[in-house]
Amino acid sequence: MSIHVANGRWVVWLSLLVAMLFQIMPLPDLVEAWRPDWLLLVITYWAMALPHRYNILTAWLLGVMLDILLGATLGIRAFAMSVVVYVVVLHFQRLRNFPMWQQALVVAMQVALYNLVVFWVQFVADSAVFDISLFYPAVSSLIMWPWIFWILRRVRRLYKVR
Amino acid sequence: MKPIFARGISNQFRLTLAIIMSVILLVANDRLEPVRNSLSSLLSPLQYVANIPGALLDLSAESLATRNMLAKQNKELLRHQLLMSERLQRFEHLRQENDRLRGLLGSPVHMDAKKVVAEVMEVASDPFRQYVVLNHGSRNGVFVGQPVVDAQGVVGQVVQVSELTSRVLLISDATHGIPVRITRNDVRLLAVGTGVLDELELRHVAKSTDVRVGDLLVSSGLGKRFPEGYPVARVMSVEKEDGKSYATVIAQPLAALDRIRYLLLLWPDIESDDAELTPPAGVEEAIKASQENAQ
Repeated sequence: MSIHVANGRWVVWLSLLVAMLFQIMPLPDLVEAWRPDWLLLVITYWAMALPHRYNILTAWLLGVMLDILLGATLGIRAFAMSVVVYVVVLHFQRLRNFPMWQQALVVAMQVALYNLVVFWVQFVADSAVFDISLFYPAVSSLIMWPWIFWILRRVRRLYKVR
Repeated sequence: MKPIFARGISNQFRLTLAIIMSVILLVANDRLEPVRNSLSSLLSPLQYVANIPGALLDLSAESLATRNMLAKQNKELLRHQLLMSERLQRFEHLRQENDRLRGLLGSPVHMDAKKVVAEVMEVASDPFRQYVVLNHGSRNGVFVGQPVVDAQGVVGQVVQVSELTSRVLLISDATHGIPVRITRNDVRLLAVGTGVLDELELRHVAKSTDVRVGDLLVSSGLGKRFPEGYPVARVMSVEKEDGKSYATVIAQPLAALDRIRYLLLLWPDIESDDAELTPPAGVEEAIKASQENAQ
């Protein structure tokens, strides 16, 4: 039964907090558009590793927090995050067994989907102008994913997060 | 591996729940303002932490400034101060004259609004909107709808206030409009943001309206939100195409919206106590000394 006892919750939330900080940290204008979606990447990792503990509703909560921090219309990122994490939770076994490059590609597609959903809801709710820079975060997330995966897996094993 | 005993609720149900809650948030967005403000007070420590790297960079840049640079900057500021105080002397005279004339006409006399300097916090904002975050909040008396200006002109207005921070919507945001007046001939217009940082559009300008390139637009005070007379923008182009019913007029904001750092929060209804605006004691002497050096 011990496998069902949660362990190391604080590690997960700490990693999410750090991701949130990276998400709102100031960047020079030049690289601003290329900012990887840190928060989405980290919650994707945890949803993949522990889909029964950290999943859609966690993502929803994080999305609401991000909306508040960014001053956006409430619910936009909450919606987008829950949809994307739902896809991750649905296919977590397949994703886990993918080779790294394939996993990174899928994650990049997830990030692109997330940004598209954000744009789409924004477009319906307020107004938004489509710009190709919407997809830049997907590219940078593709590059960052293997590193995040590696770091978080080490963290997970070190602190025996379950 | 599927867990032997399925625990809790299914993913589909969770997703449905998340979507329903998101939609509720989206629909009730305007009514949730108090909730959002208290939540953002809770989260504002995060913004302060995220601001640290930028602040550290600024600090190191300041402490690494050479003596030469500081001396040069100081000299420049003294010169500036001298010019400004000369202008202020004339302004004081004009103000008294204006008050007397207004008194004669029986119109209300303008009062000087209370102002406080706030600093822009460098944190990321919604990429679809044009916001800046200030390091002053409701604790400092900031309120929603408060006008914000910088040294050159109107910057925008406060749209969200939390305990320690506040969010300013820039005049260039696509949802922002400000009533303006041309200083040359008192024509009243509406300057609407375009979403481009250095562009405002003047809406519904009849082709016969007397607008020229280079006209200065100041706030007209008609919307009761911005006090009257602050410079807003300068007209950059006027196009009168035959096919359109209105002239297309583009103006450029005077405030440098892309590199704002210090801003002034205005309290139009509270009179300023001039004490906080008078320079500290040493400055006057320094100016006198520089004047003597110049002679």
